[in-house]
Amino acid sequence: MRRITRRRGILLGVVAAVVSAVVVLLSTGLGKDPSVVASPLVGRVAPDFTLSQLNGPPMTLSKLRGQVVVVNFWASWCTECHTEQAALDQTWQQFQDSGVVVVGVNFEDTTGDASDYVRTAGVAYPVVEDTDSRTALAYGLRGIPETFIVDKTGRIVDRIIGPVDATKLSSEINEVLLAGAR
Amino acid sequence: MNAAAAKARLRTKLPVLMVLLAVLVGAITLAVVAVRGHQAQPSQAQQVQQIAAGLHCPICKDLSVADSPAPLAQQMRAEIAQKLRAGESADEIRASFVAAYGDSVLMSPPRRGLSGAAYFLPAIVILVGVLGAAMLIRRWVRSPETGPADDVEAAPLSATQRRAVHRALARLREEEPA
Amino acid sequence: MGQLGTYALLLGLALSGYGAVAAALGAKTDRPVLVESARRTAFGLFATILVVNGAMMIALLRNDFALRYVVENSSRETPAFFRALSLWAADDGSLLLWNLILAGYIAAVALRFRRDRPATFPYALSVLFVVQVFYLILVNGPATPFATMSSRPADGAGPAPLLQNHPLMAVHPPFLYLGFIGFTVPFAFGIASLLAGHGTDEWVSIIRRWTLVVWCFLTIGLLLGALWSYSVLGWGGYWAWDPVENVALLPWLLSTAFLHSVMLQERRGMARLWNIALVIGAFSLMTFGTFLTRGSVLSSVHAFAQTAVGPAYLAFLAVVMLVGFGLLMWRLPTLRTPARLDSAISREAAFVGNNVLLLAAAAIILLGTAFPLVVEAVSGQQITVGGPYFRSAVTPVFLLLLLLAGTAPLLPWRATNRARALRRLRVPAVAAALVMVATALAGVRNVTAVAGFGLAALVFVANGQEVVSGLAIGRRGGRSGIVRTMLRGRRRYAGLVVHVGLAMVAAGITASSTLGQQTEVTLKAGQSTVFAGHVLRYEGLRTDQQPQRIVLSAPVKVNNVGGGGAGTLDPRMNLYPAATEPIGSPSIHRGVVWDLYASVISLQEDGNSATFRFYRNPGVNWLWLGGFVMALGGVAAAWPVRRRHDDDEAPTSVRRTRAPVEVGAV
Repeated sequence: MRRITRRRGILLGVVAAVVSAVVVLLSTGLGKDPSVVASPLVGRVAPDFTLSQLNGPPMTLSKLRGQVVVVNFWASWCTECHTEQAALDQTWQQFQDSGVVVVGVNFEDTTGDASDYVRTAGVAYPVVEDTDSRTALAYGLRGIPETFIVDKTGRIVDRIIGPVDATKLSSEINEVLLAGAR
Repeated sequence: MNAAAAKARLRTKLPVLMVLLAVLVGAITLAVVAVRGHQAQPSQAQQVQQIAAGLHCPICKDLSVADSPAPLAQQMRAEIAQKLRAGESADEIRASFVAAYGDSVLMSPPRRGLSGAAYFLPAIVILVGVLGAAMLIRRWVRSPETGPADDVEAAPLSATQRRAVHRALARLREEEPA
Repeated sequence: MGQLGTYALLLGLALSGYGAVAAALGAKTDRPVLVESARRTAFGLFATILVVNGAMMIALLRNDFALRYVVENSSRETPAFFRALSLWAADDGSLLLWNLILAGYIAAVALRFRRDRPATFPYALSVLFVVQVFYLILVNGPATPFATMSSRPADGAGPAPLLQNHPLMAVHPPFLYLGFIGFTVPFAFGIASLLAGHGTDEWVSIIRRWTLVVWCFLTIGLLLGALWSYSVLGWGGYWAWDPVENVALLPWLLSTAFLHSVMLQERRGMARLWNIALVIGAFSLMTFGTFLTRGSVLSSVHAFAQTAVGPAYLAFLAVVMLVGFGLLMWRLPTLRTPARLDSAISREAAFVGNNVLLLAAAAIILLGTAFPLVVEAVSGQQITVGGPYFRSAVTPVFLLLLLLAGTAPLLPWRATNRARALRRLRVPAVAAALVMVATALAGVRNVTAVAGFGLAALVFVANGQEVVSGLAIGRRGGRSGIVRTMLRGRRRYAGLVVHVGLAMVAAGITASSTLGQQTEVTLKAGQSTVFAGHVLRYEGLRTDQQPQRIVLSAPVKVNNVGGGGAGTLDPRMNLYPAATEPIGSPSIHRGVVWDLYASVISLQEDGNSATFRFYRNPGVNWLWLGGFVMALGGVAAAWPVRRRHDDDEAPTSVRRTRAPVEVGAV
């Protein structure tokens, strides 16, 4: 009888251990957004691009070395991009003279739609067209809006998924500017 | 040797021969197809399709770049074709996408590190299952005559039960072709 | 409506709480009155949950924008049909349907056992109510389907575009829910038998019957899901090895294994422990699947948007596994059954093989699905385990299963009569060999395809031959003889029919996954291309402004290469105000051997040019037909037939395990 009791104890212990292992494992997945995937590009040199501007000459990322660049992927059909546009404009106005460039990279859009949006919404920062999405692919884009912050040496410091927040973005840019100054 | 006996022997042997022959023919067919199966040189479109099938469409939930109708997947296929034309190998093309997107852009986990375990776990599962089943069957076949039936069945059959058994056996004979 | 729903949900919770306690207490203290009151509570509960769903349905149909759920999932322009479907368009509403189906199952159990009840009935009833309590707590707290808006908006957002794009959405989720939730009933009777601790096997036939019903629903649900994916998503396929699809397949594999191994218990008194473990395992996997789908752990087309109920599901999963497997271990000494086989080549041994293979397939799929979670938790590395991996890992197992399904039904129980088994095998084996040779000669250069077709032929002919020979025997007794034979051997013949369906499914999957053709081409209006023996001409864009959406259709005129028109394909893109990107809608010419499938993936120059994908998919309709045949066989096996008087004394499954006699043929 005692042997049975002991065996029972062991078996129940095994069940409890397995179940708790499963629960611990699965709980790591909780509270995380499964669609957020880390980018291997953060910390690396930003992929270079030369793209034509909507209103102006072609723009090349590597020619902006020495400045902090905010690369924002957007489209006129993307509603979330509309919500972050004010924040980007504000950042542009605020940091324009401190060596910061905001570049909007237009993604899967038509020139007409993009120009219309830029005009009506009053987008002041430069917007370039990524007509064949090659730049988007080089940046590992998984959706829009997505924003990359590139420091003065041309390295990607951060990648922001979803609409940016004006205060967060400006404090982050301040940090990058300070780090570059040191 | 008389003809009737030979005929009877043939009657019992023939099905065995037929089944054996069928298995043999099937095995040879498979072997021939396996050996001669590979096409000499896939066309460029096929190569694009092959590489794209191994890449996960980044804006889709579950489809590969080859399957996805999304515009970005379309662009990725164009990019793959362009890189192939530029002389890049399939591995180099895959590596360039991994550099931008990380390992999760591959439809199958990379073979290095912990994720490499994905490649031998299924084999272990099958091996353990088959070995376990084989051992179990061996043990059950060898176990002594006292089957479960003999353990449980202590009382003799009642008259109604006996009738039921007879009926059932009769029905069994009727149903099963001799 | 909102208030009615909220209060009815509370009432439902109270009722199921009462039912759970009353049933268990009544059984414990031997008070049948209490059990009877719990049994009747089931009907009250069902009525209450029906009111809840009715309230939500009315709110949706009347566009009662005071309710948040209505605002998020309906709009003025949504057609009434899709407004009704919005009941399961999002997590909160679908939980109401989930509760309704569970309450329906409880009521069905209460009705079925209104008179002769097994000893385990009160405990099973109590377990059922406990599960209902969990799902009702979910909708009374963490999820709030009847939450109201602070201010009433003028219009709602409408259902998610994918959910209002095709009428199949009307049937696919309900059948899948019927299939999933149904596992609660076998689970409840399994737990009840463990709780009651009787050494008897009376639960087996009850669980077998209910599992069969659930298996049919799940088979249809999976099939409809595949059909939806094929007809709506526009990628030319029907199964993407998406995590949510995988976890839906797991309980199906386990219940299929159970339906086979249960025969070992019914006929030979073997595998009692194993069978009950399978029942608990199927329910645990179903709960695990619910957690993955609704706990926002994985990303998938089928996953619900971010929800707050994840921890609740995880806790429930932990309880289910602890109680289920814990009880199993507790009762282990009483569950051990002596086992003996007369031969390693017998029906019994084949069932062992069947179970090993089905469980191996389930284990591989479970491992692959959970693997990204494990790797990320351990090393932080993010990886994908997708279609190619599953296909290469699972295909050998499925091929072996086909081999078994094509040979095992010919093997006798107990003793081996090799000569006889081989005699029955000769036609199927020759047919399989011929099909393999023919496939190879036809130019197929894919080993999996050749093996798949050969084995499908083996399964088809072997099982078909058994059905036909049964019919032939029955014919000796005239028309009534056929009916009598079929009814007598109902379970055997139903099983054979399921296998015949399986063969068709296998052939369809083999054909479509190995012999399909596809092309991607950009056409200007009026321009044509040649694909798979057809001349396809783009006719130019047509725009149709509908109240709830804009439909852009890109008609393609189809002509056979040799001349002769073959109609028009009309792939579309639907623009919904709620969606940023257009939702594609493929157009399919379905045929006996192959489908011509077109989807438009992008438009240029205002539609003067369009990029299409054309597919030539062979065998897809065999898959649908075969799946239907499988479900039909399942229904035939589960259909309650009143036993005729002279059969009344025939040993029932319970007695059969005790009496070592061969009765019937399966």
